[in-house]
Amino acid sequence: MFEYALSFMIFLPILAGLALLLLPLRKEGARIVGFIVSVAVLFLGIELFIGFAGTGAMEYVEKRPWIESLGISYSLGVDGISLLVLMAGSILFPMVFTLFAPRSKGYYANLLIAQGAMAGAILSTDLVLFYIFWEIMLLPIFFMIGIYGGPNRLPATIKITIYTIAGSLLMLAALVYVGVSYHNQFGQWSFDIVQLSQLNLSGGFAVLAFLMFMVAFAIKIPLFPFHTWLPDAYTEAPSATTFVLSAIMAKIGVYGVIRFVVPVFEVEFARFAILLSLAGVTGMMYCGLAAIAQKDMKRMLAFSSASHMGIIALGVFCMNVQALTGALFQIAAHATSTGVLFLFLGLMEERMQTRNIEDLGGIAYRAPIFATFFAIAMLASVGLPGTSGFIGEFLIILGAIKFSGFIGFLAGTSLIIGVCYMLWMFQRVFFEKSNARTVEFQDFKVSEALTFLPVILLILGMGIFPQPFLKRIEPTALLQIAQVTNPSHQQLADKTALNSDQHNQKN
Amino acid sequence: MNDFVSLLPLLTICAGAILLMLVSAFDKVKLETGSYISLGFFAVAFFIQLLVTGGSGTILFETLFNGMLVSSSFTTTAGLVILACGFFTVLNTNSYFKVNTFGSLEFYAIMLFGVCGMLLLTMSQELITTFIAIEIMSLAIYILVGYDRASVTGTEAILKYLMLGAFAGAFFTMGTALVYGGVGSTKFAAIGRFLVAHPAGSPLLIGGALFIFVAFCFKIAAFPFHAWVVDVYDGAATPVTGFMATALKAAVFTVFANFLAINGNLHGSWVTFLFYIAVFTMFGGNLIAIGQNNLKRMLAASGIVHSGYLLIALVAISSESFTGSVIGYYLAAYSAGTLGMFAALSYLGGEGEKRATFDDFKGLAKVRPYSAAAITVFLLSMAGIPPTAGFMGKFYIITSAISAGQVALAVLGVVSSILSMWYYLRLIINMYFHDAVESFETQGSILATAGTFILVICVFAIGIYPIVI
Repeated sequence: MFEYALSFMIFLPILAGLALLLLPLRKEGARIVGFIVSVAVLFLGIELFIGFAGTGAMEYVEKRPWIESLGISYSLGVDGISLLVLMAGSILFPMVFTLFAPRSKGYYANLLIAQGAMAGAILSTDLVLFYIFWEIMLLPIFFMIGIYGGPNRLPATIKITIYTIAGSLLMLAALVYVGVSYHNQFGQWSFDIVQLSQLNLSGGFAVLAFLMFMVAFAIKIPLFPFHTWLPDAYTEAPSATTFVLSAIMAKIGVYGVIRFVVPVFEVEFARFAILLSLAGVTGMMYCGLAAIAQKDMKRMLAFSSASHMGIIALGVFCMNVQALTGALFQIAAHATSTGVLFLFLGLMEERMQTRNIEDLGGIAYRAPIFATFFAIAMLASVGLPGTSGFIGEFLIILGAIKFSGFIGFLAGTSLIIGVCYMLWMFQRVFFEKSNARTVEFQDFKVSEALTFLPVILLILGMGIFPQPFLKRIEPTALLQIAQVTNPSHQQLADKTALNSDQHNQKN
Repeated sequence: MNDFVSLLPLLTICAGAILLMLVSAFDKVKLETGSYISLGFFAVAFFIQLLVTGGSGTILFETLFNGMLVSSSFTTTAGLVILACGFFTVLNTNSYFKVNTFGSLEFYAIMLFGVCGMLLLTMSQELITTFIAIEIMSLAIYILVGYDRASVTGTEAILKYLMLGAFAGAFFTMGTALVYGGVGSTKFAAIGRFLVAHPAGSPLLIGGALFIFVAFCFKIAAFPFHAWVVDVYDGAATPVTGFMATALKAAVFTVFANFLAINGNLHGSWVTFLFYIAVFTMFGGNLIAIGQNNLKRMLAASGIVHSGYLLIALVAISSESFTGSVIGYYLAAYSAGTLGMFAALSYLGGEGEKRATFDDFKGLAKVRPYSAAAITVFLLSMAGIPPTAGFMGKFYIITSAISAGQVALAVLGVVSSILSMWYYLRLIINMYFHDAVESFETQGSILATAGTFILVICVFAIGIYPIVI
């Protein structure tokens, strides 16, 4: 029954999206279709999660040859690395269809295509297939920002498009280089990631290819200093699109690094790890400080999202099990907290037609449930114990200190910046005096509260019982780290056991 | 017998051309009928070619044509691309002549003659045959470019093209003479044998090859012989421009690749030159394209860039295992996207091609969402975004370049396609992100719509089922 589950998760939304574009439907109808499809994908996702064995290997594998002359295959699979990213993509998606006033059917079609393409990018285990979905993913975003975005949407659209296309075309050249190197070393063509990870790359071109891959992913994450497209794009995009960008698409950048860069370029990755983790920490601090200064709430959240992506990226670059597990966990936590804040903000904007922090105030008195939900998501975003954000950030900082005391110290202290801007914003928006605008603010409708409730429960659940999630991630994380730090198989076994012990004690 | 089967598509088109020429003597026959007749001949020739492709292996017509013609999977693929280009161009023309009134039946006859020349060119394996084929093709194209006698830009275009084309022809004959002086034969096979015997080549051969290269570079609009392209493409009628940009380029690239693949020595000694030509063609074309406001001019310049990509493939071919699959595939992918763009332009251009600039297409998506979507698909294919044909084409070219050790060239190709995003996206942005300024009424025919639709499917089908010959 679940033989083709992964293909369904990819192509059901894409086909539904294309059908919406072609069929003459009204916008309410389009919205309902979108909702039904995303709920179907949600159920598939939950089934996958429950049935996921956590062996560390690929599960639900689908593989058939596609372009045999170049060894490109249509191969999909889920493992501990992709599981939570995929979950974030499938569980949160129905929300974008239920909230907000209905928009045109093209908008919903684009959302569906984006969902399918992102699932495709997450599930592909073939580098070329991944690249194809990675590029398709950009198109709906391009149209959503360009057609349905805010007043300055044009420059924002051009910026994000040129940035990401430049990055991904560089990646194309690099991935072809990897494929050709494989052909030269093993005498046959393959773009399958398992086989590519056996490659021994060295020399100037390998470093160049590594950097090209990293630039592409750094732009998507976005890693400092490639983050300059982000504030404009996040601010101008419609709320649901910003949510998709922040909650899912940015994660695919991190995911791509873990899935494709680390196994292929072990040596280069280790060589550049310090530099990259410094970029991550710098991004955290820089974007955090920038967030403090923002007057527009959406722009502030945009910077905060970028800042938190910095710590997730740091978790990947530290190259140990704690940090990697933390980063993978934090991917889901960030999607449910920082990502979801954009949806709250979208509702506020729809009700009050403004998102200037100065114009707001006293919302908590008018809308206590809204304020509570917002507060939980916000506290998770800053990493309060008891919420999902704490587990992830704790593990990452633990790993960072193991990796380098200095970087760990920087990362730990820059979390304080996050607390500063978030709490200060919360105070100004939800407390203080209400004004003419906010006095009219309506609390959640039942449907809205019901939409957010599962996410809020998930935030708390992931914070209090992280084990079901961690145990699914860990085996793969162990394998991955073993591969990077210890290419020799003899030592692999010792290291695994050791790490696993340490880790259990710390939990 | 088998030899004639391979030539059957060429003979079919030839018969069609002669038939149309005779038919056009009668006043009663309508212009429409002419387009249907040529559609029929293209379709029949295409299917014959498709059946012929089934037979594998390279047939050198040693006895029948004294080794002057060749038929291989590469030439039949190029033949398929050319015939398909002819078919879709007729569809465009049919619609174009509904609103522009300078058409007459001879137009189709001349076009079929042009296709004859192209098919012959793909198969030619000897320099004199190549010259004859080039001239058959070029004469037809000259006439088509200047078909609208009332148009000033059309007259300018034909003058430029004719003058420069004549120069290129002269260069080619000069090159042939020199090669004959050096080798004692004009057959590709003989040149190959000569190079095996004398690896250093002879001065006459090298000089002659240089002249022949110049002529080819002129025809494919490679740097530094690309200056004519923008004006000529702009001046010609839109369907003719589409025809020139696709079928002509496919034919010339096929023979160019065949010529280069004669012998490793010949290819090896020209690789450095081809490398620089490819780089300058790509970047020169991009620089021209970025500055254009007129769509046809932009497409002309982007055609130069695509020639640059194809030159990358030429740099990367190896004569030991030459199948031309990368070039054939890229030609098909490029032709589908480009023809689609020209189909849309012929359909939406209106009377006297009044809608021609980027600004004229502002807000098209609001009024004609399906047309805009089709144009978007074609543009994305030309830009090389998956899952379209253009992406797979670019992927193959980069793969072949890196396999041949030309990593720098591959990277430069990628950088060039980043630059090219600018002008492709610009049209998409104009179509989608602005409000409509007019109602885009057209009187084009249903055939153009059907053709555009088939091309959209082709773009995806070629991309998703990449059949490598």
